[in-house]
Amino acid sequence: MTWYVLRRLAVSLLVLLGISAVVFLMLHLVSDSPGRVVLGQRASPEAVADFNREHGFDRPVVAQYVGYLGRLLQGDLGRSYKLNEDVGTLLARNAGRSAMVSLAGLVLALLIAVPLGILQAVRRNSVVDRVATAASYVLYATPSFLLGLLLIAVFSQTIPIFPAEASQSHSPWVVFTDPRAMALPVITLAVTSIAVFAQYQRSAALDQLGQDYIRVARAKGLPERLILTRHLLRNACLPLVMLVGTLVPTLLAGNLIVESLFNYPGLGLLFLNSLQREDYPVLLAYTLIGGVLTVAGNFVADVVVAAADRRIELGA
Amino acid sequence: MTAPEVTSAPSPEAETWAEREPGSIRSVLHGLRRHPLGVAGGLLLLLIIAFCFLGPLFHPTNQTDVDLLNAALPPGSGHPLGTDGNGFDVLGRLMSGGQVSLRIGLLAALFATTIGTVYGAVAGLAGGVVDGFMMRLVDVMLSIPFLFFVLILSARFHADALSLSLVIGGFSWLVSARLVRGEVLTLRVREFVLAAKLMGASRRRTILTHLIPNALGVIIVNITFQVADAVLVVAALGFLGFGLTYPTADWGSQLASGVTYISADYWWLIYPVGGCIVLTVLALNLLADALRDAVGRRADR
Amino acid sequence: MSTADGSANTDGGRLLTIRDLSVEIRRGDRIVRPVRGVSLALDRGETLGIVGETGSGKSMTGLAIMGMLPAGGRITAGSIDLDGRELVGLPAARYRAIRGNDVAMVFQDSMTALNPTKRIGEQVAEPVRLHRGASKREARARAEEMLALVGLPRPAERLDDFPHQLSGGMRQRVMIAMALVCEPRLVIADEPTTALDVTVQAEILDLLDDLRSRLGMSMILVTHDMGVIARHADRVGVMYAGRVAETGPTSELFARTRHRYTQALLSSIPSLTQDRGEELFSIPGAPPDLTVVRAGCPFAPRCAGATDRCRAELPPPVTEAGGHVHACWHPAEGPAARTRARLVVPAPAGSEPTGSGPTASEPTGSRPTASELAGSGSTASGPRLRVVDLRREHPAGGAGLFGGRRTVKAVSGVSFEVAAGETFGLVGESGCGKSSLGRMLVALDRPTSGEVIFDGEPVTRMSARALGPRRTELQMMFQDSNASLDPRMRIGAILREPLAIQGVGTRAQRTARARELLRDVGLPASVLERYPHELSGGQRQRVGLARALALDPKVLVADEPVSALDVSIRSQVLNLMRRVQLERGLSSVVISHDLAVVRYLADRVGVMYLGKLVETGTTDEVYGSAAHPYTAGLLAAIPEADPGAPRAPAAARVRGEPPSPVDPPSGCRFRTRCALATALCGQEEPPLTPVTGTHHVACHHPLGREESRS
Repeated sequence: MTWYVLRRLAVSLLVLLGISAVVFLMLHLVSDSPGRVVLGQRASPEAVADFNREHGFDRPVVAQYVGYLGRLLQGDLGRSYKLNEDVGTLLARNAGRSAMVSLAGLVLALLIAVPLGILQAVRRNSVVDRVATAASYVLYATPSFLLGLLLIAVFSQTIPIFPAEASQSHSPWVVFTDPRAMALPVITLAVTSIAVFAQYQRSAALDQLGQDYIRVARAKGLPERLILTRHLLRNACLPLVMLVGTLVPTLLAGNLIVESLFNYPGLGLLFLNSLQREDYPVLLAYTLIGGVLTVAGNFVADVVVAAADRRIELGA
Repeated sequence: MTAPEVTSAPSPEAETWAEREPGSIRSVLHGLRRHPLGVAGGLLLLLIIAFCFLGPLFHPTNQTDVDLLNAALPPGSGHPLGTDGNGFDVLGRLMSGGQVSLRIGLLAALFATTIGTVYGAVAGLAGGVVDGFMMRLVDVMLSIPFLFFVLILSARFHADALSLSLVIGGFSWLVSARLVRGEVLTLRVREFVLAAKLMGASRRRTILTHLIPNALGVIIVNITFQVADAVLVVAALGFLGFGLTYPTADWGSQLASGVTYISADYWWLIYPVGGCIVLTVLALNLLADALRDAVGRRADR
Repeated sequence: MSTADGSANTDGGRLLTIRDLSVEIRRGDRIVRPVRGVSLALDRGETLGIVGETGSGKSMTGLAIMGMLPAGGRITAGSIDLDGRELVGLPAARYRAIRGNDVAMVFQDSMTALNPTKRIGEQVAEPVRLHRGASKREARARAEEMLALVGLPRPAERLDDFPHQLSGGMRQRVMIAMALVCEPRLVIADEPTTALDVTVQAEILDLLDDLRSRLGMSMILVTHDMGVIARHADRVGVMYAGRVAETGPTSELFARTRHRYTQALLSSIPSLTQDRGEELFSIPGAPPDLTVVRAGCPFAPRCAGATDRCRAELPPPVTEAGGHVHACWHPAEGPAARTRARLVVPAPAGSEPTGSGPTASEPTGSRPTASELAGSGSTASGPRLRVVDLRREHPAGGAGLFGGRRTVKAVSGVSFEVAAGETFGLVGESGCGKSSLGRMLVALDRPTSGEVIFDGEPVTRMSARALGPRRTELQMMFQDSNASLDPRMRIGAILREPLAIQGVGTRAQRTARARELLRDVGLPASVLERYPHELSGGQRQRVGLARALALDPKVLVADEPVSALDVSIRSQVLNLMRRVQLERGLSSVVISHDLAVVRYLADRVGVMYLGKLVETGTTDEVYGSAAHPYTAGLLAAIPEADPGAPRAPAAARVRGEPPSPVDPPSGCRFRTRCALATALCGQEEPPLTPVTGTHHVACHHPLGREESRS
């Protein structure tokens, strides 16, 4: 097991290195020269060139990347062009709020989707299953912003129980301190994921239900409830754990859209605003963090699954 | 030696096998027949395509000139679904927006599947170190939140339909690549491919007569899913305001402009276009799922 | 185990009575009736063997007793009486109290039958906690006791193992411990050893027998293997198409076979004592479709003795003396007399390019008469295929970034020769490297070292380009005809493909050739338009053979050619292969784990163990006077389909399971399982040395002639 974890860790670090290179190079290709962005369109080409030379932006791209990587390892994410603030501080200020709303959505989604998916599998082709499957299809086809709009229309306009705008408080615990104002963003995030998770859980559970060890459990005389909790649950959840691990980019995208829709000042909104401001250090840093989170998500999922199913470490 | 008779009906054993792994196009069609929802999805898709591309012939509208005198009209004569904040006829705008969305979706999907198929097939056929390197690269790319990149790109460069499809396709080929590689790897060691090798078949011939026809089902299913996903991405970009350049409008940007009026209760600016997006993606997914079942393989998304 | 005597026990001894049991399963709009009016009985302490082919309803009968029919299945009629208690219609909660407690089941594949993420101790203890209300600690102690009883070494340490840490045989023991932990009165073993090697199978079946008598249980043994039945059952029920064809005490049924199906089935099994010059009896056609209700005897369409009455009226069960029941209008008298067709080699067929067939079919191991067939333009006197010190190692899974590379020694220095027109058989258990070897013979895989020399040229060293034209002369017949025929091609295209690749003839000529090939393998031309999935397993295997023959190869390698087929279909294909070998003067290598199959097809045999050839010789030498303890053990482990057959002494058995080919034992690789092993065996590897001119063995202590099996 230790070997497996170390091996996975090494692979993850390699992937991280790759991500930093790819992201840095691609943004370098895409972005305007920093001098132009900072000094504005009216600045003379000479002034722009001077600025770039002064800050080392005229060096070859590889040298710039190595320099960036070095600073990154010291925890320096660079400085925002437009807000004249340390990018790390800027991101840290917003990270807690974003993490909280996304996690709340994820947890809510899992709490509903896992039992629902298993129920669907056990009662395959029943009314519950059919209704849930149909709902999943429709929800999957509904973009999160549309879903959010519908929720606003229903729960904040027709029956005004929740506000249409999220709380503007800067506390990361706002989900708990002001649940009413956070209800719609969290529900929007959760419902979008439920559609995917429940269907995935359903098919994973169906796979497991077809396995011989379930028949064996029945042959032992176990009641169905115990078969589900003692034998099915763990095996049927492992694929979903893997899925959630790989789904971090999707969760980040969902976060972006929901923060924009409900005007929730978190990382997503910061990203969108930086986009308009052409504030590349912020964009670069957040994209990188997204990559790190994804790799971390995959790593954690792999380790969790390998700990639950010891065959994995042998096959990897 | 007794010659066995060939029974006219397939034996029971053969039938269960056919259920498990149908081969021919014929059995795919047969399989599709057992999926009324898939057929419904296909018909719905045809209907939507007809609405977007043939609709303007029956309901011609001006989608280029702003008409502020007739802005935000509720549905009525002349404007069955009213007009938007710029005075564009909503029904006509749905059609033109749909054309753009579908075109981008299809182009992006074709683009992604083509790159993905070639990349995955090369990796799978090459094997060894080459395969290892190519797939690690895919791992890296998959770990980058792709919406971020698309947003950065379309914020920097003003996007048109073609460039947007290229960008979306350029980031969504990764899944197809994994899929096709997996398929190639399993097919490569299937005994009928080994048998062909024993007969002296060249690599080219094996690829053309065995690998491609057998992987085709998975690829077609993948295209269908990709179109659905691309339509959603286009809508998201449009909604966030980084879609196509005004006045060309896809469904997403149309919806975004409707949001401005959400408190004004102008429902016709939100529900019709929202419905179009949902129905299109739903139709594509239903069709793709049915095809996947009919092809008889689990093409992971 | 004592073979049952005719004296029927008193009714008090009866544990289970099944009367007129019928089951139907609804799948969508189709209704399958896998069990139709089955009546069987089982006494206390007895073993009832239920035997039948795929789809005969034998497993479904077992599941019906357990009350565990698959979704959509229900019992439509009949009764199941367990010790005075009616099981049909029992409420679910009360049935659960019986399952795992009074009636338990042992399933076929222990890999999937054990929960992969639960420790085996917990899994074995689970029924005790459930039915006996035992505490966690008591249940664990009971599990340990049970694991010791089924022969798991160091059970206390293994309680916390996961299933994948055990070998197949050990997993099956755990499976048995789990079923018997509550000491049920009845255990149903559904193909308990089908996934295991023959030496392990013998141990597991003996274990089941032993536990049955020690715990005083009754057992239902569901199997397709007549040999297993003959050796381990007191009473037999033979099932065909959902009905019991014949049932009675084992010795009685084998000695006085009444039903035509049983008789045909027994005759079609290749045995270890059969005259090899004889053609196997085979049943034409395939088992019927269970969705259709047909009048008459279900076996009538395939029965040689069927009359109009058989086709019109269902034969009722007739009870004879000794509790022997059969359902046949024209019962046979005793076992089939073994006076069947001798293999006759037809006159050379004019249409065949290599058609001058050998007339003698008793090769002596030295170059047979067929050597004159050695192809034109090659070294006519040398062997057609020569394998020299072939080795193949491949990396073991799990080698990662830092992990040292470990290798699986699949084939470790194998040498043999195959003369023109000769058939060489390779036998061995799973994982012995026989399939790896087969793939290297036809150049599908390259050896790590060593050579395969075909007609004087080393094919293993050739470049792909140089190999191209030679390829066609080395063909292979695969085990799984499902996988070896492209599902998207019609049979016509599949048979034309080799010709098209080699650019032989026009399209019309290729079609004509395809038709000819089909005729040669006994299939009508109408098959040309079919897709593989429209054919039955036996038909597909014939197509596989036809394709391998399309290019007139000189060497045919057949890897487990009949393992996927049911007994009655198997003999058809075996006969066909034998005939083709003789007609065409092919050199072939037949690879199988089934000793009887190899014996039937091969002139000379090589026995493989863990990547090495431990014994070679003519078929008569190896089977008649095995010199290697492993060969002798293999032969002893095979149950003959004859309850009267002498049983090998327990000492001759091979114990345990093969070690991992990643770290094979030093010296003689077999020594860890050998009863005769000495210190020498651990130090020095025995080379292949001649016993007689053609018979070689790699053993420090070869068996003398008098010790070996008669």
